[in-house]
Amino acid sequence: MAKAEALYLPEDSLRERIKTYINAELVNIFAALLFLLLVIFLLYPIIAVLIKSVKGPQGLTLSYYLKFLIKGYYFKSLTNTLLLGFINTVVCLVVGFCLAYLTTRGPLGLRKPLKVVSMMPLIAPPYLFAISLIILFGRNGIITNAFHLHWTIYGFTGVVVAQTLAFIPLAYLMIENTLRSLNPNLEESAYDLGASEVRIIRTITIPLLAPGILKAGLLVFVMTIAEFGNAAILGGRTPFLAPDTYTMIIGEGDFEMGSVLSVVLIIPCIIIFFLHNYLLTGKKFTTIGGKPVASEPRKMTPFVKIPFIIISCFAGLAIVISFGVVLMASFTKILGVNNEIVMSHIKNFDSNLAIYNSIKVSLIAALIGAIIGTLLAYVIVRGKFFGRSFIEMLSLSGFALPGTVIGIGYLLAFNTPPLKLTGGIMILALNCVFRFLAVGVEAGISKLHQINIEIEEASSDLGANFVTTFYKIVLPLMFPAFIAGFIYTFMTAIVSLSAVVFLVSPGFELAAVKIFDAAVYGEIGVASATTMKLVVIVIVCMILLDFLTKKTGFGLSHKKGV
Amino acid sequence: MNNDQWMLILHDIHKFYDRLEVLKGITMEVKKGELVTFVGPSGCGKTTLLRVIGGFTNLDTGQVILDGHRIDRLPPNLRDTRICFQNYALFPHMTVADNISYGLKIKRWKKGRIQERVEELLKLVKLEGLGGRMIDKLSGGQQQRVALARALSLEPKVLLLDEPLSNLDANLRLIMRGEIRKLQERLKITTIFVTHDQFEAMSISDRIVVMKEGVIQQIGSPVEIYERPNNEFIASFVGYVNFLDGVIKAVELHPERATASTSIGEIHFVPERSINVGDQVKLVIRPETIDLSKSEPKGRNNIFQGEVEIGMYVGSLAKYTVQVKGERIIIDQSNPRETGLFKTNDKIYLSIPENIHLLTKN
Repeated sequence: MAKAEALYLPEDSLRERIKTYINAELVNIFAALLFLLLVIFLLYPIIAVLIKSVKGPQGLTLSYYLKFLIKGYYFKSLTNTLLLGFINTVVCLVVGFCLAYLTTRGPLGLRKPLKVVSMMPLIAPPYLFAISLIILFGRNGIITNAFHLHWTIYGFTGVVVAQTLAFIPLAYLMIENTLRSLNPNLEESAYDLGASEVRIIRTITIPLLAPGILKAGLLVFVMTIAEFGNAAILGGRTPFLAPDTYTMIIGEGDFEMGSVLSVVLIIPCIIIFFLHNYLLTGKKFTTIGGKPVASEPRKMTPFVKIPFIIISCFAGLAIVISFGVVLMASFTKILGVNNEIVMSHIKNFDSNLAIYNSIKVSLIAALIGAIIGTLLAYVIVRGKFFGRSFIEMLSLSGFALPGTVIGIGYLLAFNTPPLKLTGGIMILALNCVFRFLAVGVEAGISKLHQINIEIEEASSDLGANFVTTFYKIVLPLMFPAFIAGFIYTFMTAIVSLSAVVFLVSPGFELAAVKIFDAAVYGEIGVASATTMKLVVIVIVCMILLDFLTKKTGFGLSHKKGV
Repeated sequence: MNNDQWMLILHDIHKFYDRLEVLKGITMEVKKGELVTFVGPSGCGKTTLLRVIGGFTNLDTGQVILDGHRIDRLPPNLRDTRICFQNYALFPHMTVADNISYGLKIKRWKKGRIQERVEELLKLVKLEGLGGRMIDKLSGGQQQRVALARALSLEPKVLLLDEPLSNLDANLRLIMRGEIRKLQERLKITTIFVTHDQFEAMSISDRIVVMKEGVIQQIGSPVEIYERPNNEFIASFVGYVNFLDGVIKAVELHPERATASTSIGEIHFVPERSINVGDQVKLVIRPETIDLSKSEPKGRNNIFQGEVEIGMYVGSLAKYTVQVKGERIIIDQSNPRETGLFKTNDKIYLSIPENIHLLTKN
């Protein structure tokens, strides 16, 4: 046999080489582009706030921070906010635990109704509770008038109550989730060894739930201190960081002090964000698996049952009444003062225009958010480049950052060319995109983990490049996650208030801002009617999500940040 | 019968899940110091019955009597029974010693006594010196031992074990099976053991309770269950079996002998109980009781000629499927090296033994 001739390899042309390079590096190129977007729209605004807070007329200065510490009012605002967060967290955890315990271990007849009631606040913007409290306990409130009270809800107590009701579902869902996944044999073993129910809860249930409860607590704390609406509407003269930032910037135009307050607000949020992530990856108590045991409802002892039912029903009743009065206020002239049934609030032109604007902005945000979220998820899961976890952290961080801070950041960052966006629709949409990116990304990541990477490898083996594979294989498989991300972003964007309140331009009002203004100016009817319209929109979105979940078996954890 | 010898009496227990009846009138007794196994396919109600005894599942009607006292309305913490769950359910946030002493602390034992008792129990389950370990630092077998020690800590009258070995690998399962049995015999503790593994049940029990669809099929010693099963289900549940339909042709009394005519010919056997000519019966013949040979054995009854269909050598034995007049008979031959292996289509002789268990047809 003849000797094999040396293979002749023609030198690739430059164009060919560039093409090959791009093809091989396409994932990384996408990653780089996405990273750039995250830096511009998430990191840069925060840095802009930081810079503003330390930049004086003559270079760097800490004088604004000094002013914060010296002036009692500002400091009071910090302590109030932290105290609010602390009280809220404790109350939400206690109520959430009682509710979760009853819905997983309590009497069968109570489980379903309590579950429904404790999830109800999810369909409403958190400031619904501020409005309902004004209707009941405001200066012209139903209860204020009925009992001729001289006391009104405005102040610290009001904010605590409204926030607690708004964040019960968050605590409830997280605790319920861990409680349900707790092996029932553990509690049964303790029972078998002679422990009473109180003792089981004290020595077994709560210690085993501790990581879950702690995580729920951290989340509630961050959400509470960052929440803008309730504190701004009900705070009265009591200073809180989030609304004070708003007053500082929109009222007094003092961007420096506004930035300082933002930085002060952001610090606990960042600490907790890292703590939360650390706990999330931290060790969980592992138990040997066995067959899932159908746990029968245990008979609860009255010592546990009665207090738990009282707490749960009290919270549940407060939630139901809140929805009820806001609904009634939408259809009456001034509920409690003049109960004449009117349609004027529902038909209010400004309100409907604001709703229309909100839908427009939210749709844009949802579309962009779902696309970026899906791409980011792909890059995070499948990419093999350095800094992947940083991108993941960055894309999830929008969730933990207070809306007011991002709002100010956008105002500062995109006020000048080359990226002059202020005054337009895009700044509102982009703001929502990057604030609520976390959910779309998480949904995409969990979906991608279910898709075997070999499917994609098979596609590229057959000659497809990255774009073709992504378009023909990944996207169709990830479509449920894409849709879920879309609906979720839409739903959160449309009720969101804290960031957009800084960014709306006169003549283009959003529903959430309209509600805020109306509530502050005492137009409770319009505020209620607009809120109820948002509730209806959110319900429709939830039905769609539920349908999607059932149809595709694709679950999405409910989180909430406004 | 004298009631004192019973530790546990179950009387006509019924349990419904919604409209599904999972226990259909369970009645049985457990002697003091006995190890009784509930065995059956999944869904037969064995775990539910165990949970009824432990107090974790309420029965709908019936009685549970422990050492002369009715306990079926008592919660688990007031019953003198202790359970070991399949997944052990050890408290993962506590040490081994804390797990074991959990019940003792509830009973307000003195600190010193608790310590003594924990040491004693650790020694009993061969875990000396591991009291300070956290649960997740233990192997599966060690966790099993801790669960056992915890259940034994309060000296229960009845120990309930729910598939205790199913999370262990095969070798460890054998070892733990032996240890549980040894421990149980030493402490003379009345024990109920639930398993789906018929061989595990056979090897560990004083008596076996075979269950199917919420009904007890048979209660008996391992030998009784294997050699004298009540019905086809039990016969095939505890091992492979050849069934031959037949009609009794002749019965002799002195000596007791009978002849049944079957599809492969007449089979002579020693009847276990009285039968009559003309009875429709099913002969239960275990594969390992049949002998195979190349040449016709002399001086024996029940010799049949057959042809090897499939032969499988599995080391400790050879398994054959043999065609005898159109019937397929499964035969296990132990020590195949001695007898030599047969090949497909070999003509061979089967000798069927004369002590054959009969099922009468209803």
